[in-house]
Amino acid sequence: MKVRVRFFARFRELLGTDIIAEVAERTTLPDLIKHVAEKNTEGHNAIFDEYGQFREYVILMRNSRRIDTEDASKNIVADGDDIAVFPPVAGG
Amino acid sequence: MLTERERDRYKRQMMLFGDEGQELLKKAHIFIAGAGGLGSPVSVYLAVAGIGTLTIVDRDVVDQSNLNRQILHYDRDIGRKKTESAEEKLMAINPDITVRVIDTTIEEKNAGDLVGKADGIIDAMDNYPARYLLNNVAIRKKIPLFHGAICGFYGQATTIIPGQTACLACIFPKAPPKEVFPVIGVTPGLIGMVQATEVLKYLLKNGELLTNRLFIWDGKQAHAEEICMVRDPRCTACGSLYETQGNKR
Repeated sequence: MKVRVRFFARFRELLGTDIIAEVAERTTLPDLIKHVAEKNTEGHNAIFDEYGQFREYVILMRNSRRIDTEDASKNIVADGDDIAVFPPVAGG
Repeated sequence: MLTERERDRYKRQMMLFGDEGQELLKKAHIFIAGAGGLGSPVSVYLAVAGIGTLTIVDRDVVDQSNLNRQILHYDRDIGRKKTESAEEKLMAINPDITVRVIDTTIEEKNAGDLVGKADGIIDAMDNYPARYLLNNVAIRKKIPLFHGAICGFYGQATTIIPGQTACLACIFPKAPPKEVFPVIGVTPGLIGMVQATEVLKYLLKNGELLTNRLFIWDGKQAHAEEICMVRDPRCTACGSLYETQGNKR
């Protein structure tokens, strides 16, 4: 099963973007992101805290719909999903 | 009523929206929170477009390290109040408008009074706690909020119409950590232009606003993206507003 993961801004610099990930059936959204992010510790730690939970400001979209990071583990990814992960920027 | 001088000054844009549109801009009052990286380009372009009254609030003095992006301030202004520097430049750019500057920190206790009866609020801040204050004022007073933020080559913008669209707290319920952000002047230049364009469209009632959409700009890839946003019915900032409007959920 293939899903597309796109990172933005700083996450993109650390992890790349437009990643096609091959995942097993019944993979949850957090497990997918962890799988894709594990190649870069800094990138992983920018998205997840020390308990492996999404950092509270991370924005997660699945097929253009916002997913609350607290509910992400209830989301089982499906073939062809488009997942976007990004941090809000703060400067002005 | 437009003067002959104004008619001449705005001739090329009045081809787009006529006397009537220009009068709308002249009558408008826009509140700009911050005279820095975003506030500079936004205020310059709103001034040249002929927005009748601009109120600009900033608490800082010009520092040498601001000058790579804060185009309202010149080398000679280092050490000067940003509000003073902004007022001087904007009045020189367009003496036919009114520029009000207030040298203060935007806080919970003064934010509502500072915004007053403005027709729109420009978020040109550099931190989320201040942005949430502006968001609350926008919701309370039902004044549109034009959000922009940047980091490095990346930027984002959205337009918030209280009572109708997702608010800043619906989109970003949790603030990212405060940091000294890297920035190259072109990024706030570009995002500031998105914000200023939105203000003009809103005032002119012309075009499709950037509402319920987050515009995301990646300057490194020269790629723009937009992400649909929806109002959060549990939003701590705007949830109650909708309830009082008869549950328009």
